[in-house]
Amino acid sequence: MTEQPRILIVDDEPQLTRVLRTGLKSRGYEVRAAADGGAGFNSFMDWQPDLVITDLAMPNVDGLELCRRLRAVSQVPIIVLSAKGEEKTKVEALDLGADDFVTKPFGMDELLARIRAALRRASATPSNDDTQAIFSSGDFQVNLDSHHILLRGKQIHLTPKEFDLLTYFIKHPGKVLTHRTLLAAVWGGNYVDQTEYLRVFVGNLRKKIEPDAAAPRYILTEPWIGYRFDPGE
Amino acid sequence: MRYFIAGFSVLAVTLFLKTIGDHINAATVSLALLLNVLFIATRWGSLPALLTSMVAMLCFNFFFLPPFGTFTIAATDNWIALIAFLITAVTAGQLSARARQRAEEAEIGKREIERLYSELRDAFERASHAEALRQSEKLKSALLDAVTHDLRTPLTSIKASITTLLDEAHGPTGDAPPVVLDPESRVEMMEVINEESDRLTRFVGGLIELAKIEAGELQLRRRWSAADEIVSEALLRAAPITRQHRIELNIERELPVLRVDERAVSEVVYTLIDNAAKYSPHGSIIQISAQRAGTDLIEMAVEDEGQGIPVDLRQRVFEKFFRAIRDGDVSTKLPSGTGMGLAIAKGIVEAHKGKIWIDSARKSTGTRVVFTLPIGDEEVLDGSIHSAVTVERND
Repeated sequence: MTEQPRILIVDDEPQLTRVLRTGLKSRGYEVRAAADGGAGFNSFMDWQPDLVITDLAMPNVDGLELCRRLRAVSQVPIIVLSAKGEEKTKVEALDLGADDFVTKPFGMDELLARIRAALRRASATPSNDDTQAIFSSGDFQVNLDSHHILLRGKQIHLTPKEFDLLTYFIKHPGKVLTHRTLLAAVWGGNYVDQTEYLRVFVGNLRKKIEPDAAAPRYILTEPWIGYRFDPGE
Repeated sequence: MRYFIAGFSVLAVTLFLKTIGDHINAATVSLALLLNVLFIATRWGSLPALLTSMVAMLCFNFFFLPPFGTFTIAATDNWIALIAFLITAVTAGQLSARARQRAEEAEIGKREIERLYSELRDAFERASHAEALRQSEKLKSALLDAVTHDLRTPLTSIKASITTLLDEAHGPTGDAPPVVLDPESRVEMMEVINEESDRLTRFVGGLIELAKIEAGELQLRRRWSAADEIVSEALLRAAPITRQHRIELNIERELPVLRVDERAVSEVVYTLIDNAAKYSPHGSIIQISAQRAGTDLIEMAVEDEGQGIPVDLRQRVFEKFFRAIRDGDVSTKLPSGTGMGLAIAKGIVEAHKGKIWIDSARKSTGTRVVFTLPIGDEEVLDGSIHSAVTVERND
């Protein structure tokens, strides 16, 4: 990553790009903007930004198509700007590999927090490294060989599926994971519509890892979409 | 019970015939008894009719065929008469009983068809009602989406600007880097807030106008006005947005004055000029014309040199919240509007009993929006109004 992180904004709304550009520049980011997905993709290829913020509804090439094209060539963090009523498109974007979303209208601080988290993740996670047998994230330490997970140094007793699910969560801290993504990753492609499996297993995991299962701090629910894992300190 | 009545009816008929006289004709007797059989058959069906035939045959034999008072028959031709009577009575009885049954079946069938028909009609009514409701719900939610999008977009810009300005004012918090705004950026943020607030105000104003038009509550303040004045007023308002375009005016001389709501019609012209300026390249010509169309109509038009509207979208652009650019897949990088301007314009023109439509531009590929207005609807012929014109025009 360069000294000044580069952010590409893709939105057809000129006033919003104006504000975001100024707002992000004032926080020390380097910013470029594009008015639709096609221009956004070209700009990405030219400029290689560290993060992409994209609107969903745009003329010509929309946000979904942009996510698809970007994921074909890069693992760059993508934050989607979405509106209430666009839930379906938002989930689709997350399924396509977008990392996070912010719902309009949003405060600058909220967007900035998401940007910082996404950039942190991108620099911390060695991309797609599944070979490491022992790794840790926040309060959690995973040993893939012995199938053990330690939470603040204490071993948690997990069934094999719970182990797989929690490991997947720990490997993707802070990222919004849709029901489909989790089901496909842990149960396989035939189970992507069985959200009730997920609900049961997440419920069990919460009982085992959360200090208060009714007010979870590790496995957070994103209503209608999926879950977000916060590994703690 | 019905068998008893059937048998008894034969005895009653026989008694009646006997009281009329002993020398009554055998043919009359057989016809009267036959009638009795037919009556029973149509009333109660085949079995009572059969019984009636048998009893009638016995009575005929006993009382009316000599020797009277016995079941023996003297003459051969009376045997033949008796057998003929029996066959006729049974056959006629069975036939009429069957006819009665058929009629009954037909009646039941008819009632069943009527019942099915009314059930079907009810079901159909319920279904079409549900469908209408579903369509209207669908439309409502599409409209709601359009409205919320147009409200949320400026709100997003405002919120992002304000929070940036506030973060700067409050100083750094947590792990967030400090906000450093130069004076220009600060002004830019405030400009965005100002412009987007105006956009919201315009949008809300448009919504109210549309709601009024739809509720039929558009109050026209009609007075006699000149077409050139209406156009001038619209042009004056549109001056800031038409600086990059060349305006050509083509207003026919000595146009009659119109009895219209001047402000509303000027709003229509403004909307058309605004669209023309928005969707045609800088430096191109926007032509505004007004001329007579027939004896009692005036036609006004605004023509641009933009990329035009495809024929299949020319009706739809007048639907509320429809935007050719966003919804009609017209590929362009031009801004999309609120989707209310033309819907309002249509509402205003139609409230004046005029028409509005889209033609191809005469000189280029652009758009030509045309609308007509009646000079002063039915009241124009009224002498008192004419004198009012003179007064107003003399002011």
